[in-house]
Amino acid sequence: MTIKTGIGFRKDFAEEFLSGSVLKPGFVELAPENWMNIGGFWKKKLNQLAEMYPIISHGLSLSIGSPEELDMNFLKNVKNFLKEYNIEIYSEHLSFSKCDNAHLYDLLPIPFREDAVKHVAQRIKQVQDYLGQQIAIENVSYYTPVAAEMDEATFVSQIAEEADCKLLLDVNNVYVNAFNHNYDAKTFINNLPLERVAYIHMAGHTKVAPDLIIDSHGEAIIDPVYELFEWTLEKIKPVPVLLERDFNIPELDELQGELNNLKKIMKNKWGTKKPLRTSPNRRNKKETYN
Amino acid sequence: MLLKTETYNQQSNFAQYCRDGKDLAILGAKQERLPHYRRLIFNVVKDAMETTFPISFKYIETEIWDEMVYNFFSWHKCSEPQVWRMPEEFFEFCKSQNYAEKYNLPFLFDLLYFEWLEVELYMMEDIQYPKFKKTENWLTEKIAVNPEHKIVKLEYPVHLEKPFDAANKKGDYFLLIYREKESGRVQFANLSVLFTFLVENIVLCEQTLEEIFNDILYIFGINDLEMLQTEAFTLLRDLQARGFVLGVK
Ligand SMILES: [Fe+2]
Repeated sequence: MTIKTGIGFRKDFAEEFLSGSVLKPGFVELAPENWMNIGGFWKKKLNQLAEMYPIISHGLSLSIGSPEELDMNFLKNVKNFLKEYNIEIYSEHLSFSKCDNAHLYDLLPIPFREDAVKHVAQRIKQVQDYLGQQIAIENVSYYTPVAAEMDEATFVSQIAEEADCKLLLDVNNVYVNAFNHNYDAKTFINNLPLERVAYIHMAGHTKVAPDLIIDSHGEAIIDPVYELFEWTLEKIKPVPVLLERDFNIPELDELQGELNNLKKIMKNKWGTKKPLRTSPNRRNKKETYN
Repeated sequence: MLLKTETYNQQSNFAQYCRDGKDLAILGAKQERLPHYRRLIFNVVKDAMETTFPISFKYIETEIWDEMVYNFFSWHKCSEPQVWRMPEEFFEFCKSQNYAEKYNLPFLFDLLYFEWLEVELYMMEDIQYPKFKKTENWLTEKIAVNPEHKIVKLEYPVHLEKPFDAANKKGDYFLLIYREKESGRVQFANLSVLFTFLVENIVLCEQTLEEIFNDILYIFGINDLEMLQTEAFTLLRDLQARGFVLGVK
């Protein structure tokens, strides 16, 4: 049984992070599009990082929910990147960030509709065939539905089943969406194919109005989200858990504190065995996540 | 296509709204929440521009800068999936909109280009260095240089002066811009026309230094070989100390 917590690698705290003195995650997450096809200073830092930690990748620009064709050239670059750094998990958002061939660099909700289920599932299959591996799709936070004809849990579940892909369950996003759209977070989670969960995200958020939370990744995780996390862990097998923090970065020991909180809950729910030792990601060397 | 036209239209309307704010019908949308998407997306674009073009951002009047960035965000279809590369499209967009003339910023394209080059060189993939050896005798050898470089021509000396000072000094400016191997830092050197010819021919690596000098004497109508050599060696030693000239092949 593995208890592995990780954190997103950010340039803002790269040096301190790579010194390894404060933060001691079990793995790191990064977006391939921020790190592929680069050289120079950041390539060196990336190589250093890969020597120290296993890497999980979480994409931003694939735009799995786009109406248009997949960008195969982009996907080719992603594939090469995953291979170069021996990255086993590639996840993406169940959203679209590109439409009419214009990138928007944000995650827009796909219409929860039958035809979109078929369209998106077919695209996920295409990606999985090309990469030769299953990918994990993440439930995203959204602030308004767009032309929805079914509920979100049905939409996510049908796509996962039809595409036969994994799920990245973002517990904070469930909390945020449940608040913003007045549904019950636990019912939502219960309605997902939980056996497909391969990876979990945890994060903080920002309340901007009495009825609206923005998924900012700019605050510490709040207690109700920890509670929802704890409740969720009982229903799924052990998977890696990531702390997302993109803005308003505090001292690293605060982040380590949050990682410790997560680890404590995971140990409590998933057993007390020590994590399997995983060697760092020496490039092109096999690394497993189980 | 599995996606119905109506669903596609809904996605397209939503994306279009995010970019230009035009109120197209989006079924079932919570109207008061739509602006959050515009704000979040615009901030990504705005931040990318301010980070990539700090000098332009600093010196161009805020109102003008904001308008240029806003128009780019609204009208331009960004084709680049990697956010850090997107500002290159802003540079192209400004050119296509002829903003240098419109806003009376003659240095605009040179400055945006110079700032973009710095980012591009800093981030670009590593290029294999040539094999080279160190020797004192350069004259009869082909010189090896750092392959991670570009030589560009600018109309305004935005690499030497503040933008509005540079605006009054239209001319031909040549710039060698390169990435230091160890630190990864991007450096540049201002070159005269003559030394641009010299460096470009060194980069081509088809001739020995002596052969290039002979060409220079002929092309530039110079008689004083000794002075040319002295000045050229001073430049090349300086560029060697700064990590551009590596040695000889
Ligand atoms: Fe997430």
